[in-house]
This record gives sequence, structure tokens and C-alpha cells, in this order.
Amino acid sequence: MDFVEKRLTQRAKRGDREAFAELIEIYKDKIFQLAYRMVGNRQDAEDIAQETFLRVYANLHSYDDSYKFSTWIYRIATNLCIDRGRKKRPDFSLDEETEPGQGLDWYSRLSSNERTPEDKVVTQELQETVQDALSHLQPKYRSIMILRYIEDLSLQEISDIVKLPITTIKTRIHRGREALRSKLRLM
Amino acid sequence: MECRDMICLIHEYLDGDTDELANLQLQTHIESCVSCRQHMHELQRAIAFVQSASHIHVSSDFTARVLAQLPAPTKANLLSGWLRNHPFLTAAAVFLFLMTGSVLNSWFDQDDTLQVSSANLDKLKIDRERNVVVVPAGTNINGDLVVRNGNIDVQGHVTGNVVAIEGKVFVASTAQVAGNTESIEAIVDWIWYEVKNIGNDLLPILP
Repeated sequence: MDFVEKRLTQRAKRGDREAFAELIEIYKDKIFQLAYRMVGNRQDAEDIAQETFLRVYANLHSYDDSYKFSTWIYRIATNLCIDRGRKKRPDFSLDEETEPGQGLDWYSRLSSNERTPEDKVVTQELQETVQDALSHLQPKYRSIMILRYIEDLSLQEISDIVKLPITTIKTRIHRGREALRSKLRLM
Repeated sequence: MECRDMICLIHEYLDGDTDELANLQLQTHIESCVSCRQHMHELQRAIAFVQSASHIHVSSDFTARVLAQLPAPTKANLLSGWLRNHPFLTAAAVFLFLMTGSVLNSWFDQDDTLQVSSANLDKLKIDRERNVVVVPAGTNINGDLVVRNGNIDVQGHVTGNVVAIEGKVFVASTAQVAGNTESIEAIVDWIWYEVKNIGNDLLPILP
């Protein structure tokens, strides 16, 4: 895997778009997932994911392939999410047209999951509870909890991503767990 | 051990940082302490909740939209991409370029003075005023005779080729030329001559 990614980044560095497209395919869902759990809505999350890949492309020349590509891209995405939280854009409506004059609103971009209505409600509620609990964490705890438990990364990799010592990561995970516990204990 | 220390131990346990001894300690404490057992249970449940967050997928046209927003590839990138994809054409182009360069060079580097190359220069008569090299009747020239910027008047015998570059070859009735006689006046002829020479060198067996 690492070898494949190394080859792809080297090719992308030389301006090979096909290689870059493959990198997007590998990472798009991971980055989108991180962004979605950080900001809590699809559209902002897609914007952030898109911005992440554009920044990766623009800064490929400065990427040092002695360390993992995943670490680098997660760092860019995490920073973008935290920046986005600082200067929160005005909320926009799903009824808004995606592109003026095309008659398509943002609902048309939402994916639909084919499930029974009751199923949907239960999962929906659970999902909202988790998302709500996460959104009550401070961004610096939220990002680390997402990287640890949703992206399933090791403490070492999280430490590389946010450039903080492992002991700090552990402290944040402990506090994050306590905060989530008090949020979710009454479920 | 107090419950406050136990909470720390629980977190270490959840990070996978505890050894056998600490695990045993934790287990015995939890069996006897309801509040710590409850606490640990709630933490584990919270983690499970977060882990159960369904994995959502980005919209299917995401990759295409990102690619569409990338800055347009520079001409240099396009060129290098093309060269990478067509290695044989690239090699052929480089070869052709270098060949043309060397052939053109040997054409344009010449000056206007009369130049004669032959193995028997002493037997030739060179008329500088008329720019003619004469092979006198009755003489025998071994090998090729090549003259640049002048005409050749052949009256005697030549065992090789007779070539006049930017000049003409006159062959008298008494002359005998074993090889070919050639007059090269235009650059196209010159290139053809060079190519033929290369061909002849490569295929020495053919006549």
C-alpha cells in the first residue's frame, strides 16, 4: 500500500493527473468522513474535502515522501476543518439552487439510502446523537477523537498528524472520552 | 487504591497501555466497586457509539469535480506527458533532430574556396581561375575524386567515384570512370548524398 502510494505521489508530483485521480479515489471517503464529523453537514464537508485535495495538488512539490502520505493529507484536512470552525460561514439552505438556472437544489446531491422507514428513523436518531455528542467537544478534542475512533488511526500516527507529543494526544483522548461518556450515558 | 486513580488506569487500559499486573488490579477493583464498573462500562459504550457512526460516502462525481478545478496543465507538463507516453517516437524525433543538425552543419560550414580530395593530387591539374580540376588524358587516379566549389573535367581514368559538390562533372570521350559521377548543387542533393553514403557504409556488400 505504502509502495503504491509512493509511486502515485511521485507520478502526481511530475504533473500526472491520472495518478492524482487515483490518490483522490483512495482518500476521498476518509477525508470526507473526517470533515463531515468535524463540521456536521455534508456540503461544508464536501467543500473541505475538495479544498484539501486542491491544496495537496498545489503543494505536492513540497511533500517530503520520507513520511506517510496519509499523515500529510490528514494534517491538511484537520487544519482546514479547524480553520473553517473559526470563521464559520453563514449557513446556507438545501433549497438553494446548486447552480443558478438549472433548477437543481442541494437535495438532489444528497445520497439516499434504501431502507425501511422505521429502520431509517432509528439509525437516524443514533447517528444524530453521535454527531451531536461530537459537536459538543472542542475542535482540538473532536479532531483527535475522530482520528482515533472513526478513522481508526494509531496514537503514533495521530501524534504525527497534529504534530503534538503522544502524551498530549493521550490526555486529549482521555478528556474526550470523559466528555463523550457524560453526553452519551443517558442513552 | 482510590477510585480516582482507578479512572486513570481505566483510560490506560482503553489505550492498551496496561500490563498484566495492572489489568489484574483493575479487574479486582471493578468487581468490588460499582461506580467504577459503571464508569468503565459507560466509557466503552461511548467509544462503541462513536465507532458505530455509519461511514458515509462522498458524492460520486467528487473526483471529477476536483479534477475540473485543478489549474490547467502547463505546456511543459503536456509535452513531458506526451513524451513519456510515446518513447519510440521520442527516440526517433531525437535521432532525426541530431541527424538533420549534423548534415546541415556540414553543408553550411563550407566556405567558397576550391577543395579537392583525392589520393593522387599530384596528377591533377588545378585551374584556379576557371575553378576547374582537370584529370589529364592518360593519367590514372586511384580511388575517389571529390571536388568542392568547382567543376571537374575528366579526360583520363578514375578508379573510384567522381563527385562535384556545387559544381559539374564533365566527362570527355577519352575518360574512364569506374565508379559513379555525380554533381551536387542543391542542399537536397547534399542530404541525399549523405544519406546514401551512410547507406553504402552500412551495406557494403550491395553494389
